[in-house]
Amino acid sequence: MATLTEAVRSTPAGSARKRATRTRTDSSRASATYYWMVWPAVIAFAAFHTLPVVVGIFFSFTNYAGYGAWNFVGLSNYLNLFRDDRVLQAYGFSFLFAIVATILTNAYSLAIALGLNAKIKARNFWRGVYFVPYILAILVIGYVFQFFFSNSLPKILSGIPLFRDNILTNETWAWTAIVALAVWQACAFAIIIYLSGLQTIPAELYEASSLDGASPWRQFRSITFPLIGAFFTINVVLSLKGFLQVFDPIVALTNGGPGTSTESVTLLIFRGGFSGGEFAYQTANAVVFFIVITIVSLFQFRVLQRREADF
Amino acid sequence: MRTTHRRWIRPLAVAAIAATAAAVGGCAQQPADGVTTLNFFQFKGEALEDFNEIIADFEAENPDIRVVQNQVADADTAIRTLLVKDRVPDVITLNANGNFGRLAQAGVFYDFSEEPVLDTINPAVQEILADLGTYGDEVNGLGYVNNANGIIYNQDIFDQQGLEVPETWDELIAVCDALMDAGIQPFYGTLADSWTGIPSWNALGAYPAQDGFFDKMREQGADVGPESEVSFEKDFTEAMDRQYQLYSYMQEGYRGKTYDDGNAAFARGESAMLLQGIWATNPIKQVNSDIRMGIFPYPTDEPGESLLVSGVDVVFTLGKDNPKHDAAMRFIDYVFQPEVIERFAQSQNMVPSVEDAELSDDPALQSVRPFFEDQRITGFIDHQIPPAVPLIPTDQQFLFDGDTEKALQTLDSEWAKVAARTIPVTGE
Repeated sequence: MATLTEAVRSTPAGSARKRATRTRTDSSRASATYYWMVWPAVIAFAAFHTLPVVVGIFFSFTNYAGYGAWNFVGLSNYLNLFRDDRVLQAYGFSFLFAIVATILTNAYSLAIALGLNAKIKARNFWRGVYFVPYILAILVIGYVFQFFFSNSLPKILSGIPLFRDNILTNETWAWTAIVALAVWQACAFAIIIYLSGLQTIPAELYEASSLDGASPWRQFRSITFPLIGAFFTINVVLSLKGFLQVFDPIVALTNGGPGTSTESVTLLIFRGGFSGGEFAYQTANAVVFFIVITIVSLFQFRVLQRREADF
Repeated sequence: MRTTHRRWIRPLAVAAIAATAAAVGGCAQQPADGVTTLNFFQFKGEALEDFNEIIADFEAENPDIRVVQNQVADADTAIRTLLVKDRVPDVITLNANGNFGRLAQAGVFYDFSEEPVLDTINPAVQEILADLGTYGDEVNGLGYVNNANGIIYNQDIFDQQGLEVPETWDELIAVCDALMDAGIQPFYGTLADSWTGIPSWNALGAYPAQDGFFDKMREQGADVGPESEVSFEKDFTEAMDRQYQLYSYMQEGYRGKTYDDGNAAFARGESAMLLQGIWATNPIKQVNSDIRMGIFPYPTDEPGESLLVSGVDVVFTLGKDNPKHDAAMRFIDYVFQPEVIERFAQSQNMVPSVEDAELSDDPALQSVRPFFEDQRITGFIDHQIPPAVPLIPTDQQFLFDGDTEKALQTLDSEWAKVAARTIPVTGE
């Protein structure tokens, strides 16, 4: 039996070959129309993305305060970064937060996606309900959650000291409230990706395996999970990248507090750079953070792709 | 149809461009009719209407000057961008915070030291401005109205309990204990908003910060630490301990309450005092307009030595070399007339800086009047601390865990780190 991928690959490959020979005889290059389509995108991308990044990297080697005169200071900003325990603490918080939130998001989303993929009543309605958090603006929801944590929960769970005293002002546990909000919102999108992954699995596989007497758990372990491996990879990489850059939920819930215990790297860059008058120093921090995220994402891809089922 | 459409568009576009050009270029040129237009940069949103009235009266008296008020959001950023582009507004108002001091040090503002209007202003107010930073020995701004940072108290509760306004620290603690014994909550804490810890820190820290503490700190720069001549660890222990002591008289659950909660609770009489400044009186009155409240400074050990912490809420200044200087100065002279400043200060619930101006009869303002008259006022010390030092979170954290030593160490090490990595801009 030809697999799905083979079937998909074989048809266009055959016809494309024919078309390719014909174009090649007309002209060795694609027609000008394609260039007209590509150039605006290249220019816009360079102007609004690449150029600001380069300018940012440039200023990270200066002592620019955001206004006024400046000098080149070489690598001092970068050296000072590694001596700044506040920066190191922010990296520690960001990684702890991102790892916990990624694990929770993917576990919940996968479970919910499995449920939404099953033959349940009002399936489309439930799928819609679970997508709602993604539509709402996180800052708006953040303030709803803030009210919930600081006013509702202390009354509902007045027996538990942690909640009675407003968990957001608890130095040790405030981050869990931020995880709750971030996971609640991030699940919606992860569920969609998992659902689309689950729909690529042919139903025959489940039929065959149930004839062989495989339990649902065994089916999940040996069929479902390996076959949605690519979707798992992309979800984990995207979640970790997104959670490392966490910003809005923190602003809405704790604003980095109590103390600096929930200060993420992005919040530190924003605060120090814009209100702290250390534009160049925090730009250096942003450059380092960019490199760190790139490395982490590439590393994840390599590790996760190695164990994806290939068929 | 289409051609008529086109014919319309071109003149329209030309007119639009011309109008934009006139609007942009207009402020730079002297119009033919001899009327000078002043571009007035105004930061305070609440004061928009007050200034509109002042401008209308001024223009009626001075038909050859027209004042255009530009009320801007986020004025600190806006003025920096304008200064960088060399497009200095003709008349400027700003909040006199650390940012104002840094701009003044950069030498972008006019020197008022020879202007007669300077002699009408309370010297203590000008001293607060000078502490923020000036260019050499210049006077780079004129204080307009001041706020007051003290302990707000409910006069009815104090009268019922037969309590006097405390003059010394021990009397303040005695008042708190007496209130506790009477079953009345002394203070209402609102630490869910981290900044609400800072007013009391500023006021108690003002005492150790006298006599050039911050000048010495800046000299030491990266060497600040427990061994240096002055440092937070050396000089601020008592101030921090006292702040923590005050927080032991807070209501239950004060960590989870916000600034708005605190104002509402105080307005309803749920606490006898509030650790906030004069700016809180308006929101309190919105909840309960009948409340009788006063404000007193955080006392120190000796009676009669307490200092009221006050910030210059609105400072007036001008650009250094302004072709329209004479007109701008006439506007400033008008604005600083006692009648004008009185009306403005009353409407904004602030203390006017001009010595002949009368305070509004609001009891809260009247209670701080002697401190302004005797010049027993001092500035906000957080304006002296670089904004990159996380002062607010550190103090909030300290009020949670009470670890004085750790908080002071953090402040010292952050100060030293910021000093070490701040590389001054060298000449060319």
